[in-house]
Amino acid sequence: MDLLLEPRAFRLLEGLRIAPRKSQPGRVRGERLTRRAGLSIEFADYRDYAEGDDLRHLDWNVLARLDSPVMRTYRDEEDLAVHVLLDDSPSMAFGERTKGRAARDLAAAFGYVGLLGGDAVTPVRLGRREPPPAALRGRAAYGRYAAWLGREASQDAPTSLATSLRAFAGSRARPGVAIVLSDGFDPEAPNALRALVGRGHEVWCVQILSELDLDPDLEGDLRLVDGEGGKPTDITANSGVLKAYRENLARHNAALADAAKRGGGRYALVRTDDKLEDFVRDTLKREGWVR
Amino acid sequence: MSFAYPGALILFLPLAGVVVALYLLRMRRRELRVPATFLWPAQTEEVRANALFQRLKPSWLLFLQLLALALAVFCLARPQTRQRGLAGEVTVFVLDSSASMGATDVLPSRFAEAKRLAREAILSARAGDRMALVEAGPVPRVVFPLGNDPARQIAALDALEGTDADADVGEAMRLATAVVSGQDGARVVLLSDGDFAPIQNFSQGKAAVVYQNVGKGGTNLGIEALGVTDTPKGRLLFAGLRNYGGQPWETTLTLYADGKAVDSLKLKVAAHSTQGHTVAAPPGARLYEARIDPKDVLKADDYAAVSADPAASLRVLKVGGEDPFLERALALDPRVTLDRAATLPPDGGAGYDIVAFDGVPSQPTKSRGVLILGKAGPDAPVRVDGAAKRPKFSGSETAPLMKGVDLDGVYIDEIERVSPKGSAEALARSSAGPLVVADRTPIRRTVYLAFAPLQSDFPLQVGFPIFVANALDFLGGTAGGGPLVVAAGKPFSVPVAQGEPTLIDPDGTKTTLKPAGGAATIREARRVGKYELEVDGKRRTVIATLQTPRESNIAPVTQIALRDQPVRSLAAPLRFGDFWRPLATLCLLVLGFEWWLYAKRS
Repeated sequence: MDLLLEPRAFRLLEGLRIAPRKSQPGRVRGERLTRRAGLSIEFADYRDYAEGDDLRHLDWNVLARLDSPVMRTYRDEEDLAVHVLLDDSPSMAFGERTKGRAARDLAAAFGYVGLLGGDAVTPVRLGRREPPPAALRGRAAYGRYAAWLGREASQDAPTSLATSLRAFAGSRARPGVAIVLSDGFDPEAPNALRALVGRGHEVWCVQILSELDLDPDLEGDLRLVDGEGGKPTDITANSGVLKAYRENLARHNAALADAAKRGGGRYALVRTDDKLEDFVRDTLKREGWVR
Repeated sequence: MSFAYPGALILFLPLAGVVVALYLLRMRRRELRVPATFLWPAQTEEVRANALFQRLKPSWLLFLQLLALALAVFCLARPQTRQRGLAGEVTVFVLDSSASMGATDVLPSRFAEAKRLAREAILSARAGDRMALVEAGPVPRVVFPLGNDPARQIAALDALEGTDADADVGEAMRLATAVVSGQDGARVVLLSDGDFAPIQNFSQGKAAVVYQNVGKGGTNLGIEALGVTDTPKGRLLFAGLRNYGGQPWETTLTLYADGKAVDSLKLKVAAHSTQGHTVAAPPGARLYEARIDPKDVLKADDYAAVSADPAASLRVLKVGGEDPFLERALALDPRVTLDRAATLPPDGGAGYDIVAFDGVPSQPTKSRGVLILGKAGPDAPVRVDGAAKRPKFSGSETAPLMKGVDLDGVYIDEIERVSPKGSAEALARSSAGPLVVADRTPIRRTVYLAFAPLQSDFPLQVGFPIFVANALDFLGGTAGGGPLVVAAGKPFSVPVAQGEPTLIDPDGTKTTLKPAGGAATIREARRVGKYELEVDGKRRTVIATLQTPRESNIAPVTQIALRDQPVRSLAAPLRFGDFWRPLATLCLLVLGFEWWLYAKRS
């Protein structure tokens, strides 16, 4: 079985937990504290006793001193929904080391961390009409998770990134951390991210770009054929056009980052030739994506 | 402004049409698949064209290409402007260095003025102009070939010196036209005073001939003749002076015998006339000289000399067709004065020392020497028995006539099969009989060659001029050891037994001569005066004199005749100055800018 990651990467990711900026409601008891009162050992507050309360949580010391029954409340512990949204649109096939491959490795890393943290990890394939599998939990589920990532995508006609994101946002997926692993090459992608945020998801946008995307080495009179099936564009690849492209890319990336961060999310730009170790150290750990 | 090839302008229309048509074609772009196109601005620059037509759009590249094309077509049409100047694109200067060019009516001299004109033309030459210089001296020569190297050309021009000789301007002009043979727009510029022999046998081809007169005019009094003759009354010395000016001229004539003055008198010569003076000369003297001091503008003809040795001067008549090899070999002897005739004159060559029959049957003559080349007549020292083809040389006698002459290996097409008569003696033999026969009688000496030189390659051999020189010595007698009087500038040869002869100029400059084939040819006696020639350890005086009245007549000639066609002197002839080069440079700059713009946009 292909576990996608090297043993060194597993060791690097061991002990890390996904650190969302806001708490998300859980569906089953998990290992994460929630704002709701629950049964963990984490003290939350006091309240007056009401009939039927569990006397195990009565604060006997307060009763003895004040002669007033006061109940201790505790924060509840629930699981976190981690949605790993993996862009599998045609544009991800570009790059010497393809953006799709880089995205899959990052998806494996995020998934492994989520599973180890007891989170409900749901891998979602963007750009393909493919239903997501059931949420996976626990280290033991990593095998199935990796198998799903390594599986060939369906050969159905691809859909755009924004359409896929909007479709996910419109689904009944439990709000949680939505980790979008994509090049973001869709003019509607920022709006689609805002739709995710609007549905209560904390969007973590990891934009993966290749050298060709960042610094295209084009020359002459060209007809650019859109890898996503968009309208071809005629250009004369001179310095002015290349400069305009770089400015458009910077604006688009800024819009993606703004859309992700507006709902309390995160944004990072990753090059396809960046090493996973560097990303974990410099971004995930240093910027507090994980703890 | 005009155009050398105005028809080339028509090319602009079709070529511009092609350029515009290329812009009307729509571009077929190379397709490239990219992740997404929405980030790319739809900016295109029409920098090249391809298939299918489209609407013509304003384009700086199109404008620059049409501009470059217009400039290129303009260059092809060779735009010209009319300018004044001696030099053209291809110019050969013919510089007359004859004696008359030494006249000082133009200071410092006509020759210096001609050099100045040539120098100015060289310095004003434009890039691409090519010039050559031919010296019209006694032996015309190319001083520098066609080229564009002003520094070297000026250096070669500065090194050029005038002569006191009679120049062969006709040969120089033929040489000049040969230098620019077939070149369009070539110009032959003759810088001369026009005092030279009429030019015949001249074809200027495509070249234009420009004559620039450099003389202003001036009076000249010169010694026209100096002769010595033995009469029953004793030896007489005659001197003739000619006044070429329009005013009477008085001068002092001094006559010398072996360097000692024997007579001196004042003579007044009327305008445009000759006045002679005869005086009894000391009989034993070997050299007679005459000197005048007229303070005129030409010094070369103020001195003359004549040798009293009968063998020191040989009048030779060549009878037959043209034979430049024989004539050149005869002229190499400093004693020879050569005349040419197709047939023997009725007087039988009276007055000539030697008559040479070249390829024509010999006839009885009154000369003391006869040279028969190829065809023996009834008076010849041989009896003709027939003819033979391609004989083989078999050997020659040891005789002064055959000294330095090797007939072995000479190709002879046909000879007369002869046998010597009387006292005649065969000096060289072949498989078909005698090749060279010599006869010596009290009244006449005869040399017979059994083949005409032009029917063999003998004239191309080193031995040919030596054979002619030996024959002249045999027929005319060897000159004594007295002074040798030669025409200034005229090449002559002297026999050399060993070593290298040296010639000391009148100013003391020593020149070492390179002998070839037992003789040395001397071309360096170009100025009138006394030279010292050292040959085989013996010193001999060589006196160079002008010997031609034509050079004394220094009146400038404003119109010369080239093959009977008049050519008038022009102060500054017109030339068409091309200016296609700056246009071509501009065209290149436009193309360079167009390329830069293309590269920037693409």
